[in-house]
Amino acid sequence: METSDSEYFESADEELYSDSDDEYVGKGPKKCINIIERKLSNANISEDSIVKDRVCDNFEINSDVDDLKTEIDPKSDDNTLVNKEKNDEVSNIKSDTIKKEKNDNIQVKEHEKFEKTNTESLSQSNQEKVVESNSKDLKDGPIPTALDLEENMWDNEDIDDLISNNDETNRNTKYDNEKQDLKTDEIKNINEVNSNTLINKEPENEQGDSNLIAPQDDPASNSNEENMWEDNEDWNSFSTTKKEPDTIKQPVIDTSDTAKNIGTKNPKDVNTWDGWDNDDWETLEKTETSQKDETKPETSWSGWGNWGVSSILTTATQGVSTLTNQVSQGFTTVLETGIGIPDPKELAKQDRIIEEHINESEGNRGNLGFGFSNFVSGVSHLTKFVENTGTKVITGGLDTLETIGKKTMEVLQEGDPGLKNKRALLKLDKEKPTLSQMLREAKERSETDNQILKEENYKKKINYETLFDDYHGLVHLEALEMLSKQCDIKLQTLSDNCTGKEYQDLQETMDQIKELCELPDEEDEEVLLFSDIKEKIQTAVNDIKVKITYDKLFSTCEESENWLNTLKLDFCDETDIHREALQVLAQITAIAVEQFHKCGELLLIKEQRSTADEADSLVQLTMAVTSLISLVAANFSKKLNAILTQTENKDSISELITNVFFEASNSSSYVQDAFQLLIPVLQVGAI
Amino acid sequence: MSYAYLFKYIIIGDTGVGKSCLLLQFTDKRFQPVHDLTIGVEFGARMITIDSKQIKLQIWDTAGQEAFRSITRSYYRGAAGALLVYDITRRETFNHLTTWLDDARQHSNSNMVIMLIGNKSDLESRREVKKEEGEAFAREHGLVFMETSAKTAANVEEAFINTAKEIYEKIQEGVFDINNEANGIKIGPQHSPTNPSLPGSGSSGGSQGSGCC
Repeated sequence: METSDSEYFESADEELYSDSDDEYVGKGPKKCINIIERKLSNANISEDSIVKDRVCDNFEINSDVDDLKTEIDPKSDDNTLVNKEKNDEVSNIKSDTIKKEKNDNIQVKEHEKFEKTNTESLSQSNQEKVVESNSKDLKDGPIPTALDLEENMWDNEDIDDLISNNDETNRNTKYDNEKQDLKTDEIKNINEVNSNTLINKEPENEQGDSNLIAPQDDPASNSNEENMWEDNEDWNSFSTTKKEPDTIKQPVIDTSDTAKNIGTKNPKDVNTWDGWDNDDWETLEKTETSQKDETKPETSWSGWGNWGVSSILTTATQGVSTLTNQVSQGFTTVLETGIGIPDPKELAKQDRIIEEHINESEGNRGNLGFGFSNFVSGVSHLTKFVENTGTKVITGGLDTLETIGKKTMEVLQEGDPGLKNKRALLKLDKEKPTLSQMLREAKERSETDNQILKEENYKKKINYETLFDDYHGLVHLEALEMLSKQCDIKLQTLSDNCTGKEYQDLQETMDQIKELCELPDEEDEEVLLFSDIKEKIQTAVNDIKVKITYDKLFSTCEESENWLNTLKLDFCDETDIHREALQVLAQITAIAVEQFHKCGELLLIKEQRSTADEADSLVQLTMAVTSLISLVAANFSKKLNAILTQTENKDSISELITNVFFEASNSSSYVQDAFQLLIPVLQVGAI
Repeated sequence: MSYAYLFKYIIIGDTGVGKSCLLLQFTDKRFQPVHDLTIGVEFGARMITIDSKQIKLQIWDTAGQEAFRSITRSYYRGAAGALLVYDITRRETFNHLTTWLDDARQHSNSNMVIMLIGNKSDLESRREVKKEEGEAFAREHGLVFMETSAKTAANVEEAFINTAKEIYEKIQEGVFDINNEANGIKIGPQHSPTNPSLPGSGSSGGSQGSGCC
């Protein structure tokens, strides 16, 4: 996805800049250089006669190009070296001339500087940070090794630039044979200027292209889109590498140049070193003022004449204002189109329109006159160029924004084409139910769910086994079983050890106990009252002579009786009675089993055993408990019967009544089971 | 409440070390400073969740009195986990640990997870058994060790739940045979048990006409 995305942008950018590239890389700078040369020579004319002569020669077109080409064509370093050598070789130049030349150089430097600052400061506004001083500083200081690759690359490009530059110079400049020496110097200077301007310009274009359009072209820069911000560093490195050729050339020129450049550089420029900042737009204004400031001192300089200052000023301001306008335009378009996705095609169109506009105004200016118009067009070229890079930077920034926006949209649209679901979520389409409606539905749904859950819970809750387990009836029964088994094992080992009569006696005793524990058949159907049963249980417990208590059982029964007595049948559901019945039954049974269990444990640790009494008491206890269970079941079924007579739903109620009796008998069997488990305990006590 | 597994725990140790209080804290989250002497065995149960599975802990809180020793021994069988408790303020309860441990090992399955618990950690001023001693004993006998306070509930949950986790891990490793109930593990009912006697369920359908009496 990422690759396709980047490809998309690439292609878009290519579309965007293909035109401008041609214009600016090909035509623009050359023109510019041409103009600068002329302008410089113009300035020189006004200053010094020797220079004047020399410069005048510049305007004569010489066909002696081949000669020069051989000198200049070699690589930049060689070129300068050749120039240097030539300089040295010049024997007929007097020290005066040299001095003058130096002066001249300085003058040229002044212009150069002006030009440089023009481009530089403006390019700074484009976040390029092409600050002379910076480069100078970097020149002195150690250059980051990370930039080496780029440097090399740029060196090559610069060389290429120089070559084309030189060709340019050759074509435009005519050299007198007599003043060959001076000319070489001149060429050198011009080269200087050209290279400076070109270096300052070309890389910008290149940067704009390579960084913004196709970051992949730059081997050092990351081709990853996400690393766009790192491009800042690349930019910085570009600006530093850009200086490389400058620094190479610098020694050839006057050293004072360096000092001057450092001196004149705007300290604000240093601040703009960091990448994307709003400050950059501020520097635009700053550079504008700095431009003016720098231009003013030059007015005192006779060379400039009356025309220079005002025209430069006006063009400079014009250019800047156009740029500002453009920038603000760009912003408004961005704002108008929304923060989301500015159409790249739109931007491209805008770019083209602006260019056309500039070209038109340029054409108009061209009528103003010879040197002046050239100069103006030169400046306007510069500004135009700067504007262009400005827009490129802006569009570059927009590209970044666009990338972010696209990414966001992608993420949002993942598995949700057209954002239909999300839109539906956020916007609440007409067809879709409103939030309140949805909430109402959800409430209804939860209510029905709750109803079902309640019913299920009810069924679960009134499960007798579960209730019995909840009251620890089952686990007590299990423990009692373990206890009983333990006793059985004990008896078994005892009987195994016994022989003959001993064994027979043992068996007899055990059988007797078993007989004692025979529960009588419930023939007498006499209905006992709760108080009678309570009394029976208490007597039985006392007879066992172990510390067990059935108080809990009594309280439970009393509670249930109270519950039944206070029950208002009119307001009572039959299920409530059923549930209560099962609960009470389970609880009573659990308590009974627990007490049987406890009884067994206590009997086992009891010092004095009277097995017969114990057995009888336990039988009585068991009988009492079972009758209590029957009583409780009868009480509950009475209430249910009362409801049965009043309601239509007879079937379900009779079912409930049957269930109550069923669970009651279940309870009784649990109690009887518990009692049976106690027999081995009694037997162990008897032996 | 349906559960995936049921683990049987036993709590053993000298009388008065706080076994019943630990259980009460774990099941009811309350503390009873004066507790009746336990007769034989008492029970407690609580649901916990391990690995998003509902596990019912059925805890058998045995009597610590010497008199019940023979009886409580019979309850060891079929326990998956045991909490062997001593009182950090009473040295003798710590000294008796080996006896309890031998008993537990003898009467239960060998896979039973035993956690050694030094209870009453809130009574720091009356401490007689250093934590390091408990740790050393646990290390020596391959037990998990923890100091708890049934009063402040410190580490009580952890003691029970960590033991359950260990048992659960053993089940996962296949050490415990969950189909053998002697291991103290029961598989919970897959579905809520249907009571055949319940109204609406099939078996009681026949009683409709006959009524109750």
